[in-house]
Amino acid sequence: MTMEFRHAQLDNGLTIVAEVNASAASMASGVFVRTGSRDEQPVVAGVSHFLEHMMFKGTERRSPADVNREFDEMGANYNAFTSEEYTVYYGAVLPEFQARLLDLLCDIVRPSLRQEDFDVEKGVILEEIAMYRDMPRWRVFESLMTQHFGAHPLGNSVLGSPESIRTLKRDDMMDYFRRRYSPGNMTLVGVGNLDFDAFADKARAMCGAWEPCRADRDLSPPAATGTHHVLRDEKVAREHIGLISPAPSAQDPRRHAAHLAASIAGDSTGSRLYYALVDPAIADEAGTAYEPFDHAGLMFTFITADAENAPRALSIAREEFRKLRDEGPTDAELAAAKNKTASGATLKGELPMGRLSAVGFDWLYRNEYVPLAEQIEQLFAVTRDEVAAVLREYDMTAFTSLALGPVEAL
Amino acid sequence: MDNVSSAAMVLALPAGASHDPPESAGAASVAADWCFRGAGDRDTRQLNDALDSLGVQHHESVQSEFLLLSAALLGRNLPETLDLYADIVRRPRLEDKTFEPCRALVQQDLASLEDEPSRKANLLLREKFYPAPLGRCPYGTAGSLQTLSAEMLRKDIQGRLSPRGATLSVTGAFEWPALLDHVGRRFGDWDSPSAPPIRPTPPAGGITHVPKDSAQVHIALAHRATVVSDPRYYAARLSETVLSGGMSGRLFTEVREKRGLVYHVSSHYHSLKDHAGMFTYAGTTPEKAQETLRVTVTELRRLAEGVADDEMARARTQLKSALVMQGESTGARASALVSDWYHLRRLRSLEEISTAIDAVTPDQVKQYLRDWPAKDFTMLYIGPAELDTAVVL
Repeated sequence: MTMEFRHAQLDNGLTIVAEVNASAASMASGVFVRTGSRDEQPVVAGVSHFLEHMMFKGTERRSPADVNREFDEMGANYNAFTSEEYTVYYGAVLPEFQARLLDLLCDIVRPSLRQEDFDVEKGVILEEIAMYRDMPRWRVFESLMTQHFGAHPLGNSVLGSPESIRTLKRDDMMDYFRRRYSPGNMTLVGVGNLDFDAFADKARAMCGAWEPCRADRDLSPPAATGTHHVLRDEKVAREHIGLISPAPSAQDPRRHAAHLAASIAGDSTGSRLYYALVDPAIADEAGTAYEPFDHAGLMFTFITADAENAPRALSIAREEFRKLRDEGPTDAELAAAKNKTASGATLKGELPMGRLSAVGFDWLYRNEYVPLAEQIEQLFAVTRDEVAAVLREYDMTAFTSLALGPVEAL
Repeated sequence: MDNVSSAAMVLALPAGASHDPPESAGAASVAADWCFRGAGDRDTRQLNDALDSLGVQHHESVQSEFLLLSAALLGRNLPETLDLYADIVRRPRLEDKTFEPCRALVQQDLASLEDEPSRKANLLLREKFYPAPLGRCPYGTAGSLQTLSAEMLRKDIQGRLSPRGATLSVTGAFEWPALLDHVGRRFGDWDSPSAPPIRPTPPAGGITHVPKDSAQVHIALAHRATVVSDPRYYAARLSETVLSGGMSGRLFTEVREKRGLVYHVSSHYHSLKDHAGMFTYAGTTPEKAQETLRVTVTELRRLAEGVADDEMARARTQLKSALVMQGESTGARASALVSDWYHLRRLRSLEEISTAIDAVTPDQVKQYLRDWPAKDFTMLYIGPAELDTAVVL
């Protein structure tokens, strides 16, 4: 497999990056916008995500039905997602549809935002909020982020609340769109079997006339609250416990060590939490993930247990984090974490869809392109001391916690 | 496969949930975990460490007919991984001391369904829709799990971990002769009696309301469809795609896009060897539930009136494109091969499937929908209030 990295920038600031792999059977492309819930004012909470939905509701040239139909006419595998920090629109197609996919992706991110479509889609957003309301795991995640980050915008809810969505006006959304979807705040990414020159030409034709504006982000460092809450809800059958502690940022060179530390602490197999909690069935789920953000980062641990085991599960997790911090990982643990991570990245990297997010986020966060082989080399170069240092500096026992379920206190 | 360095394997054992003895339903799920708690000369931790150090991503899934052991890894680690799997299925330790946590984890899986109402609705629907015990919930019941003992399960599972009726599929970066040779050495002298056949009894069907004070009403519906081995299978898949493929499918367009009734609505086709169904799900808040049910059922029925040429063209492209993309993934191909072998006793090439999709005409889809109409629904919904289900009858 030979990969070629290509890069271009339009005069208005739009960046185009691509990893070309002529031997792939498909190609994928995504518009990555550096905007999300952390870039929202409280009065428009949820606007980034609602706007993401509205992008499928048509443009000057296309009706809502046209957008859906055209994606399907290409047999595209497509969707969009919104997080705290970015909004991504993507599609994967057979190489013959390259120009058509770009035409569609670049058109929909200049939406009409028609009032009538806005009103219908509001109902869909409210349904999505209700759907997550029935998922305790999601409720824990959202509330815990707010609890952990306090007033810092990283604690903003991605979905917003039913109230903020109900009161949101179409003009508020248009205003947000104009401020955030500036070409300089967007990156067009391509991966797989694509013709880069044609790709860049098409992007120039579609996006060259977009007016730039400043789209800054508040990058002030968050302060973790470290608080502990228990939210009793007897309608929830099991205890869902979330733990968040600070970790290196997406720009920090220690992010590879942090990734391995998370795997050693709480991968779904063979980790400290696995042996301490899942293997003896004290919890049926106990996992840690490292989540890098723009100039911030966190370790997120999620545990589910029966009510009677929940207090014990939480104290065991804390004790495991303490031991790992004080003693560091073993060489065998580090080797296993590296092998698992490398194998996961390789499997993902074999699919254009899998490479799309890696290439996109490397550029978004660090303005760099890292071939898969180099990413794996960087991972294998991490030493035991580096992982141990991250675990000491970012103490996982100093977590903010939230438990949701039948238990009254933990 | 060219251009990949990974390999994927699926070992399908005829030990799925329908083979569980009725009094110990859930046994296969407990066994799936128990087999990984030490095998051959390795204890739990040694086995786990061996898999981890080979970078094996493994997943065990209990389906109706099969217990599927799936693994994805770097191709160069395939021989050593096969060695470990030979131990897991042929020499699992199945020790008393490791039984209890395995059972407790399945008990917790079962309890967790209460916090995942959409998943629960779909699992319970299968139980009502398929002839018993083919649709059985893989986690059993609180009572059956309680009854299960290490001794019972050991006896039961040793009879079911059998090469008879088992399939091993491997895709990705490997050499066929070397693979055959290696599998022959590790599995060639494996023998064990075949599992007794299942004798299904007629399904319960009907309409079931499971009361729950949830934010949404989780509506699950099923109606009968033809099986994979039927020549009309491709017509069934095209009708599924017209109904629910992408965002221009009829359900998405009518229920979500035009009316804003739901976030999620979809239909999917599912087939066992001799029984298959079209499964539809919609999640919506209580005040919109009645309308959601009406529009959804109307669309399921309206399909039989015929499918437009442009819908057909779109559905063909979607199915063929998904096929090419699936062809890039070693894991997806390994699962598809197991399914082909089970349903058809042969493997279909991607070209064969593509040609068959192209060959289906709108008339054939219409005829299929006359033969397999959207009626006699089995319905199960979870939510606060009872719905008027006259539209389903």
